[in-house]
Amino acid sequence: MKKLKYERPLIKKMNAGLMNKFGTRTEFQPVKAIDGVPVTQLISEYGSPLFVLSERQMRKNYRSAARSFKTRYPKVQFAWSYKTNYLNAVCQIFHQEGSWAEVVSGFEYRKALGNGVAGEHIIFNGPDKHRDELILAIENDSLIHIDHFDELYNLIELCDELNKKPRVAIRINMDTGVYPLWDRFGFNYENGQAWNALSKIVGSGRMRLTGLHCHIGTFMLSTNAYAVAAGKLCELAYRCKTLLSTPIQYLDLGGGFPSTNTLKGAYLPGVDTVPSVDDFAEAITTTILNFGFKQDELPLLILESGRVLIDDAGYLLGSVIANKRLSDGRRATVMNFGVNILFTSFWYEHKISPAQDFDQYTEDMVLYGPLCMNIDVVRESINLPLLNPGDHVVVHKVGAYNMTQWMQFISMRPSVVLIDEQQNIHEIRQAEKLEYMEQLEQMPAHLQQYKLA
Amino acid sequence: MLNSYAILFFSQNRVLAVLLLLVSFMNPSAGLTGLLCTCAAIALVRLMGYHRDSIQTGLYSFNSLLLGIGFGTFYSFNSAFWLWLFAACLLTITLTVVLTAWLGKYGLPVLSLPFISAFWLVLVASNGYPGMGLMQKESYLLVELNTGPQTTAIINFIKEIDQVCFGRYPDLFFRAVSSIFFQNSVIAGILMSIGLFIHSRIGFSLLVLGFVVACVFNAITGTYPEGISHYHLGANFMMVSFAMGGFFLIPSGRSYLWAIVSVPVTFMLVNALSRFLGVHNLPIFSLPFCLLTIALLYFFILRINPGKLQLTPIQHYSPEVNLYQFLNGRERLKDLQYLRLNLPFIGAWTVSQGYEGGITHKNEWGQALDFVIKDEDGNTYKSTGTRPEHFYCFNKPVLACADGVIEDVVDHIEDNEIGQVNTEKNWGNTVVIRHAGGLFSKVSHLKQHSVKVRVGEQIKQGDLLGLCGNSGRSHEPHLHFQAQLTPYIGSKTLAYPFAYFVSGTEWKQQLHSFETPVEGMEISPVDMNAQLKQAFSWQPGYAAKLTADNGRTETVEVFTDAYNQLYLYSKESGATLYFVNNGTCFYFTAFYGDESSLLYQFYLAAYKVVFSADSGITATDIYPLQTKKFQPGIWLHDVIAAFYQFIRRTYSSSSSYQHQQLTIHAKGYTQILNRKKETMSADINIAEGALRSFNINLNGTKTAVTWQTEHLF
Repeated sequence: MKKLKYERPLIKKMNAGLMNKFGTRTEFQPVKAIDGVPVTQLISEYGSPLFVLSERQMRKNYRSAARSFKTRYPKVQFAWSYKTNYLNAVCQIFHQEGSWAEVVSGFEYRKALGNGVAGEHIIFNGPDKHRDELILAIENDSLIHIDHFDELYNLIELCDELNKKPRVAIRINMDTGVYPLWDRFGFNYENGQAWNALSKIVGSGRMRLTGLHCHIGTFMLSTNAYAVAAGKLCELAYRCKTLLSTPIQYLDLGGGFPSTNTLKGAYLPGVDTVPSVDDFAEAITTTILNFGFKQDELPLLILESGRVLIDDAGYLLGSVIANKRLSDGRRATVMNFGVNILFTSFWYEHKISPAQDFDQYTEDMVLYGPLCMNIDVVRESINLPLLNPGDHVVVHKVGAYNMTQWMQFISMRPSVVLIDEQQNIHEIRQAEKLEYMEQLEQMPAHLQQYKLA
Repeated sequence: MLNSYAILFFSQNRVLAVLLLLVSFMNPSAGLTGLLCTCAAIALVRLMGYHRDSIQTGLYSFNSLLLGIGFGTFYSFNSAFWLWLFAACLLTITLTVVLTAWLGKYGLPVLSLPFISAFWLVLVASNGYPGMGLMQKESYLLVELNTGPQTTAIINFIKEIDQVCFGRYPDLFFRAVSSIFFQNSVIAGILMSIGLFIHSRIGFSLLVLGFVVACVFNAITGTYPEGISHYHLGANFMMVSFAMGGFFLIPSGRSYLWAIVSVPVTFMLVNALSRFLGVHNLPIFSLPFCLLTIALLYFFILRINPGKLQLTPIQHYSPEVNLYQFLNGRERLKDLQYLRLNLPFIGAWTVSQGYEGGITHKNEWGQALDFVIKDEDGNTYKSTGTRPEHFYCFNKPVLACADGVIEDVVDHIEDNEIGQVNTEKNWGNTVVIRHAGGLFSKVSHLKQHSVKVRVGEQIKQGDLLGLCGNSGRSHEPHLHFQAQLTPYIGSKTLAYPFAYFVSGTEWKQQLHSFETPVEGMEISPVDMNAQLKQAFSWQPGYAAKLTADNGRTETVEVFTDAYNQLYLYSKESGATLYFVNNGTCFYFTAFYGDESSLLYQFYLAAYKVVFSADSGITATDIYPLQTKKFQPGIWLHDVIAAFYQFIRRTYSSSSSYQHQQLTIHAKGYTQILNRKKETMSADINIAEGALRSFNINLNGTKTAVTWQTEHLF
């Protein structure tokens, strides 16, 4: 007989409730494999912690989102939001599927060029575009989304110098009935700033006004907000055509569609409450189609979705370092990953599954990361089976923002692997090493020697 | 003027015309009077202000030409000669104009009837009244050459080579050809044959065919024991064969068969008419040919279902051009045959049941299409698929396939649960649209209360009709589409293609034009590029200046003709280029004129452009075979073209976008049997919604042309 697994003793408060002949059940299922590849194999080959991305899920998400829009509206274009995850392998998957690139810095812009995206298929967003980056974007005929008047004036000067007419759009912020109102980016719609900017662009004669852009927020839970935003953009586009004689070629509704993660403080889990891409598509396309554009003047609809396309394609594998009991009697488990590499644990109550079999007993516990910092809490309260040091867990839906916002703090960042559609494993980013970290450091001569007393 | 000569053989070929003019002067007096009468006829009809194009083709003057030649051949010069020539010429012109109009009403040609009648009148009159002063002479050139006073070295030389003999039948053939000009000369026949061969291989082969069949027929039946004589007889057989086999009918195996069949009939006519007219001592000339051709032509015109034996729709005055344009047009010009139907939805849908699908598309309702949306795993639904909302196509927009008026709407039938069907109201919620030309289209199984249109409403192509649903005999949400000829819900179906759609995935797309999708095909509408469309949207009055790097410039302008067809006209070269812009693509239908012009190069380069900026979409097309240049390969092809075509000239183009500039990359190929060779490559550049320039590499010769649009206002 196989030796039974040790389980630490558990003391649980009696809960007076209805009797249940099946005993207490948990919703947990162990997740022993990702896309058919065993977790133990991944960890033994690439170490723990480890980020795992599923190519199959990414493509599936993209096609599903594209289908939602493209069967409702005749001209749709997706642009991969680089900041969501700019590992080159990830970007290439979305470019292969037909996505353009949406970048918010010169660094991302050059990354997109390096990935082989044609200049005219790069959307250059963001409040901080340097002069040399703008020149690069103009030379490459990229779509420049202007964020503020100072940038607009700079651009006019640049166009004069270069004698080129770049294609530009402005970013517009507006009241869509949701809180918080994002008014720090772009030009405001309600107070006329946006119209002022549009008039200036057309009036300057130096640029081609081709589009209107908005990005009303992130992790938006209301489809109506998008309908309002689309309506306002359509209204502006119509005014551009009639008053400025400049037909608008595209409306960029930005991103912000939520993944099915559960936000902190949410009463119900995300899977049950978050609207689907279909719902957003319905709201947006119906608004534009009903606005009254002529059929062959319908603007191209651009979407800069990132999170919704990749979040559930990413997993973080980790292991238990230790179990503890806190002063108030709560159980605490220390994991080998913390907020340094799982940045999104500041926002989400991530779903975490054990990666091996367990029995029916579960316990409420705090999940801590490995950092020597008080803020390093992965989950403040989670009900999990009893885990022993060395056991593995799988954190779900971590594909968005973690691999770009992770911190090299105290420990180094782990490797990232991609499981392709044929279940082959590819390491798409190696684990960081000390030499890599010190590569850019320089030591002044007077500090090279020391002698400890 | 030259056309008056060429049209005798249904041609507008200059080489043939010059040769004929030359041959007519082999009998100098006849040549002179022929030329005079032609000029007089042209001058008169011009002065009187008849239709210019008809004058141009020589339609009003070739009978006068024949009369002049006849007069010069039969009568000697004297003062009365000129008087009566004038009178007869006037009569011929009058008869030509009157008969042309009269027969024209029935779509029939006048042929040489005016000449025959006018000349008979002259003959009858002069035979009865010697006082008219017309002196008849021997009609054969050779006779005159021997006896005439003006024997010169040249005429002697002609006489010399006229003795050349090619054998009995070839000689007879050439003499028969020359007899059309009232001559009896091998050399004249040879010259005319060369001209005819250059003009048309099909036509020449038909002349030979007519001649051979007549000889064979005569040999079998022994109608004329001494063989067929060259004079009036041979020519009639040959001309009937030519006219029926290659000119008035599109050359084909069937038309050749008719050419053969008409020979015995011609025999009968020749004999019978000779007997009739013999009473009054009148020659029959080409009367049998005229009568039989007109009769047969009318016989063919009156058919209701023409089948495969087609009359020439647009006369190009060349059997080859007629044939190639016809074949090419049948393959390409679907715009003229069908109303342009677009797909009734947005995005990529899959045909779940095609024509004669066997499930519900059966019998009289067989020509219908069912559409669903599938994901990459081939499922039509997400989640569990137990509710209509789970299905991808449910609630998706359904569009009008073409402009029309709403004929009927049903909107109240409940959507079924998945797996249930409503056999009582089997079509479910339905919209029927009445389109132009008596065509109706119907979409069914729409969502309850989703229909946005009302009966009697005018709608445009692409307008929203309603939403896809699950009503009627539908066990899972899908869209049913059919075309029909009657306005009822439940009418039987009509097979009808969609004008343009794209099949395949985003990586490997294929453009289909005027096809019906088949079961399992994933199809989507063509993604249109407004800039490209604008660049080719040319209204009458659009003008542009073309400047080539070799210094040549041309000014082109868009005009419309009487049939509302748009064409580009090059002012410098006179070239004319007909085009069609149907909103989805731009293509040329015909080019006339100078093949060295820049417009011709543009014709080759922009033969067909689809307004899609998607570089994955390639437009393909087929050029008609060109016959004007000397290419022995094609001439060989011409001879058998009516039966089998082994040369194809194909075209393909696709577009790409870079730096605010759209470029159309075009390639031309010549395919002989299975060998394919690139003969043309071109780039057409478009910026800011206007054509800017094009480069073309034609068989290694490179030309770069800038295209400047002049101010339109």
